Amino acid sequence: MREVDNANPSILNVSQLPSRSRKVTTPRQGPDTKCDDIVYSKRPWLCGSSSLEDEALEEEYGEDPLDAQDIYDLISPISDPEHPHTLGQLSVVQLPDIHLTPPPAGRRGDSLVTVTVDLTPTVTHCTQATVIALAVRYRLEQTLPPNYRLDVRIKDGSHSNDDQVTRQVGDKERVAAALENDTLRGTLDKMLETCV
Amino acid sequence: MSPPPPPPPPSSRSIDLLPLATFTPDLYTRAWQSTPHPFLPLLATTHDKTVTVFSLATFSKHSSLTGGHSRSIRSCAWQPSSSQSSQSLRLVTASFDSTAGIWTYNPSASLEKPITSPSQNNEEEEEEEEEEEWEFSLVLEGHENEVKSLSFSPSGQYLATCSRDKSIWIWEHLSSGGDGDQGEEEEDWETIAVLSEHDGDVKTVSFAPGFKRGKKHDGRRYGSDCLVSGSYDDTVRVWREDQDGEWVCVAVLEAGIGTVWRVEWEGREREGGRYQRFMTAGAEGGVKVWELREEDEDQDEEGGEEGGVSRWGAVPNRMRQSLREDWEVTGELPKVHTREIYSVAWSGESGLVATTGSDGLLVVYEEDEETKEWRVRAKVEGAHGPYEVNHVTWCRRFDKGAEGRQEEMLVTTGDDGVVRAWEVRIGEN
Repeated sequence: MREVDNANPSILNVSQLPSRSRKVTTPRQGPDTKCDDIVYSKRPWLCGSSSLEDEALEEEYGEDPLDAQDIYDLISPISDPEHPHTLGQLSVVQLPDIHLTPPPAGRRGDSLVTVTVDLTPTVTHCTQATVIALAVRYRLEQTLPPNYRLDVRIKDGSHSNDDQVTRQVGDKERVAAALENDTLRGTLDKMLETCV
Repeated sequence: MSPPPPPPPPSSRSIDLLPLATFTPDLYTRAWQSTPHPFLPLLATTHDKTVTVFSLATFSKHSSLTGGHSRSIRSCAWQPSSSQSSQSLRLVTASFDSTAGIWTYNPSASLEKPITSPSQNNEEEEEEEEEEEWEFSLVLEGHENEVKSLSFSPSGQYLATCSRDKSIWIWEHLSSGGDGDQGEEEEDWETIAVLSEHDGDVKTVSFAPGFKRGKKHDGRRYGSDCLVSGSYDDTVRVWREDQDGEWVCVAVLEAGIGTVWRVEWEGREREGGRYQRFMTAGAEGGVKVWELREEDEDQDEEGGEEGGVSRWGAVPNRMRQSLREDWEVTGELPKVHTREIYSVAWSGESGLVATTGSDGLLVVYEEDEETKEWRVRAKVEGAHGPYEVNHVTWCRRFDKGAEGRQEEMLVTTGDDGVVRAWEVRIGEN
């Protein structure tokens, strides 16, 4: 896989975006989706984690653990709220800025995985930074299994309020409240229309 | 309640956490918080725009509060009452729709429901819900954004609410005097203070606990109310009512734990009548224990009767400007969690502390009687499977398995929409 040249902030062609020979990834259902009942019926956490459930988990999500490219594929097609391009094309989302801890290799079925995504807004005073970060978090919350924890951040120095935005999007309570705001929810859903 | 028996030295006993029960039904959506009633076998869990009340005797649904709020209910509180009758059963909800809602239970809707003393309700069968049992009787409006948390003063007279609008409001329940009335009279709540000193989202408010009734000695010393708030601005503030009835900030504490998610008061008396401590839990992992530094001459102060006059009643007016309180960190829980700690619960019975958070751990700590160091005594990983655990609380057991003993359990509430009870087995080796 090729890495995107970070120096050029202009728009990339789809063919320039990092990818690997495509495998079909079916969207996964996480918490807070309308498919909750499906997820929960499969994962009744009645007696804590047992080996039986670990096996069920493996079956459900396959033996192939998610890696940075998978995360990239989930969020790079999100549309920018202002431009007719995707976050991948605008290099707001870049593959080298996606990290998973622990890495896919030494991962146990049920253990927590932390996904860190550092976003690079197109300009340092981008007013849409919060909305973009929220969209990335929303997309990942919807699609990743429940043992994934998300840290969506604005890359240091890339934005005048990077800390504030990072903090706001990391605040579970504020994110939950924001997603109940119909106007904002409408904006997010529109940005996610380009994700398939 | 009789005083707890003196615990054996920590080294001589083991503490184990065992799954006890899962409340039914599952709620199928993120559940935020579960609040046990002060003495009845009821537990109120907030999720979505609803509060589901569970029976602690059967671990199953008792009733629900629906239709009052247009956005999610974040937390709720039972209004304290000296009456054991269900006529004064009252729950207040904090909602993302910027309001707080007062709900009253209508006992005539179901006379046979087990809102009675725990000894009588074991044989009673649960019926399917009757939604009309809970009446949404009043909306408290005033906050500009989401209401996040609320807390009653020990007498039930004052209610504090806090919001993303950075303010704390204190409301007074003016008709709280008549416990024996028919519940028909109009709700009368008045705003008595709006506190706007925080620089961010106020995440949590908590009144200091009152002392057990009938102990005037303690009531005299600590009769006045003390409110603590925690915020997105990383600070904790301590608020007191002065003798003119003004609520003032008497301490600003730099917690150093990022967003302060939770403030939890120590729930039992201390040696020498010292003031209760509280713990703060936050985004950056550490739980700190705060203690009021009390001057010796302060001990002889003559202010205040129970529930009435301010603790500073005897202090001349000219001195009050300088009456700041000095709270300092005197302890810290061992760092076990790897992500944000959302909740800390401090048992008023055993003194044990439990924490939960984003990493799904449920941890129990104990303070060493001599060294005053806190030690991890039990730990469960993945308490709600792979999901985050939003809340933990201590709760008296009323189920058959408790066999009438005054036993406590832990109740956790998670993003999986499941509410779980945990037995805390204290063995003596």
